[in-house]
Amino acid sequence: MTAYFARRLLLIVPTFIGITLMVFTITRMVPGGPLERMMSKMQQMDQSSNVGKSTNNNSNKSSALSEDQQEQLKIYYGLDRPIYISYFIWLKKVVTFDLGTSTRYNEPVWEIIKSKFHVSLTYGLLVLVISYLVSIPMGIYKALKHSSIFDNISSAFIFIGYSIPNYVIGIGLIVIFAANLDLFPMGGFASENFSDLTMFEKFADIVWHAFLPVTSYLAASFAGMTFLMKNTMMDNLSADYVRTAMAKGLSFRKAVVGHALRNSLIPIATSFGNSISVLVMGSFLVETVFNIDGFGLLGYESVVERDYPVVLGVLVISSLLFLIGNILSDICVALVDPRVQFSE
Amino acid sequence: MEKILEVKNLSTAFATDSDLITVLDGVSFDLIKGKTLGIVGESGCGKSVTSLSIMRLLPRPAGRITGGEVLYRGTDLTKISLGEMHKIRGNKIAMIFQEPMTALNPVQKIGDQLGESFRLHFPNMNDDEVRAQSLNMLESVGISDIRRRLREYPHQLSGGIRQRVMIAIALACKPDILIADEPTTALDVTIQAQILKLIKDLQKENGMSVMFITHDLGVIAEICDDVVVMYTGHVVEKGSVNDIFENPKHPYTKGLLESIPRLEHPRKTKLKIIEGMVPDLLNLPSGCRFGNRCPYIVDECKQKVPVLEKVLDAHYSKCLKHASFMKENV
Repeated sequence: MTAYFARRLLLIVPTFIGITLMVFTITRMVPGGPLERMMSKMQQMDQSSNVGKSTNNNSNKSSALSEDQQEQLKIYYGLDRPIYISYFIWLKKVVTFDLGTSTRYNEPVWEIIKSKFHVSLTYGLLVLVISYLVSIPMGIYKALKHSSIFDNISSAFIFIGYSIPNYVIGIGLIVIFAANLDLFPMGGFASENFSDLTMFEKFADIVWHAFLPVTSYLAASFAGMTFLMKNTMMDNLSADYVRTAMAKGLSFRKAVVGHALRNSLIPIATSFGNSISVLVMGSFLVETVFNIDGFGLLGYESVVERDYPVVLGVLVISSLLFLIGNILSDICVALVDPRVQFSE
Repeated sequence: MEKILEVKNLSTAFATDSDLITVLDGVSFDLIKGKTLGIVGESGCGKSVTSLSIMRLLPRPAGRITGGEVLYRGTDLTKISLGEMHKIRGNKIAMIFQEPMTALNPVQKIGDQLGESFRLHFPNMNDDEVRAQSLNMLESVGISDIRRRLREYPHQLSGGIRQRVMIAIALACKPDILIADEPTTALDVTIQAQILKLIKDLQKENGMSVMFITHDLGVIAEICDDVVVMYTGHVVEKGSVNDIFENPKHPYTKGLLESIPRLEHPRKTKLKIIEGMVPDLLNLPSGCRFGNRCPYIVDECKQKVPVLEKVLDAHYSKCLKHASFMKENV
């Protein structure tokens, strides 16, 4: 078992290099980048200084920066070297926890990412805890009351929630609960006067702001988990060993709790490890709708703005979490299912 | 001859979306104390449903008992409360199932699954006593290396050992009745013989009664005292094992016996079969239910529904023509 996990941990290294090398190469190949952005900025400045003299603004289209300046900028951003050399320089810095400097904000990438963590972590944790706390008992109850009125009605709601994209639900919630009923804020992570509040008020303020966005995140994650739980529970309820347990003299209730339940949790455990990456991966659409300054929005904006150090920084964090999450899932499954053994 | 279990006119039905299908239709038989009763018939004839009805373990909510009585020592099991039924299950009437591969909980140790029976029916036992009794049971069903087995999970055991564990669980509380629902079907022939011998030996030791459900007439001949032959939810013939094998009085029983391959037949002899298919329970033929497959059918069989008639002593047949039905070379 230990050998297996040691091997899995070592495998992270080549996988991580593969992922980052691919994205790194793509950032070099696609048009646009810090140099082009700088040039267009110069051009705009050029144009605005040329206002009035509308004669020859087409002629100096590419000459906002001289060849010499362009070369200097290339050296500044490290674009003068071949891809593999720049990649190794970047990788070497990543190993020492230096993710580089944002070309847009001129701030260290790590600082920018850190400033978004608390937002994404709050929502991630809330969504994670609520969806497990609600989906598992609800799945079990729906399995026990299969085809009852409760089962059918809740299924209908879950499917509606699942089929509508979560940012559309978000917009709907804002229109109804924030704009019309004025029960919740339109968006944001906390109130303006957050720092003046007491500990309890701070907590209440965050929950109040989080209610609508968390609801729209949950709408989608409920469906998968609840139905996974319900279906595996139903499979296990009709399993032979539950009948054996009842033939021993156990009541149905005890047979469910003592035998069917643990078996039904195995598939849920399979996905548990990956939820650590859910913690930092907000949906940028939901974050946009609710004006939340989180991880999803940062990733999206850095791609649009060709802020490659940030793009790669976000990729480093999310791919590492994903890879570690996979191993955690394996550990979870090995813990709940004695049939799983990771030895030769 | 004390009757420990009397099944009287038992009927069981399953609800589908549109219909209520009667799967057991007036089944009656007795289980004698210390004896072995075999229930035989082809797939879907209601053998397993009979055992599940007795245990009240029918799949819910579809299955339900619609009539009749199951008297255990004079108490009607179909009428008592669920709480009382829980005290009988596993304690007085125990059951083993066909598929040892899935009948044990895959994520629980053998020791826990076996110990559960003791803890349930003898709540005063402490952990050491439960452990001692569990080891005792595993030893009595012929398992070696018992201390290690207690800590193992079902997937670490072979099919034969798992069925032995199932028997150990069933017999843990020394039940009066053991219902064995095709316990050897999923096992290979050598293991089958071992398991049958084990059940017989343990029966001698405990003096329990065994209800043995199978479609294998060879198994019936080997271990049963009395036989009930079932077809489409009816008992079509019942009697002692000698009556049934030497002097079958129902064409279905005769057909079953004739379709056993025999060593004395020359090689490549075509195996005799019962022609036709089991009728759909929703679309039964009028008159005798075996009518569409019976080689001896006469017009009377299509109009009159036969009843279980006494042939001789304890030998009964549900055939209108059983009197004229002569023993041929079986």
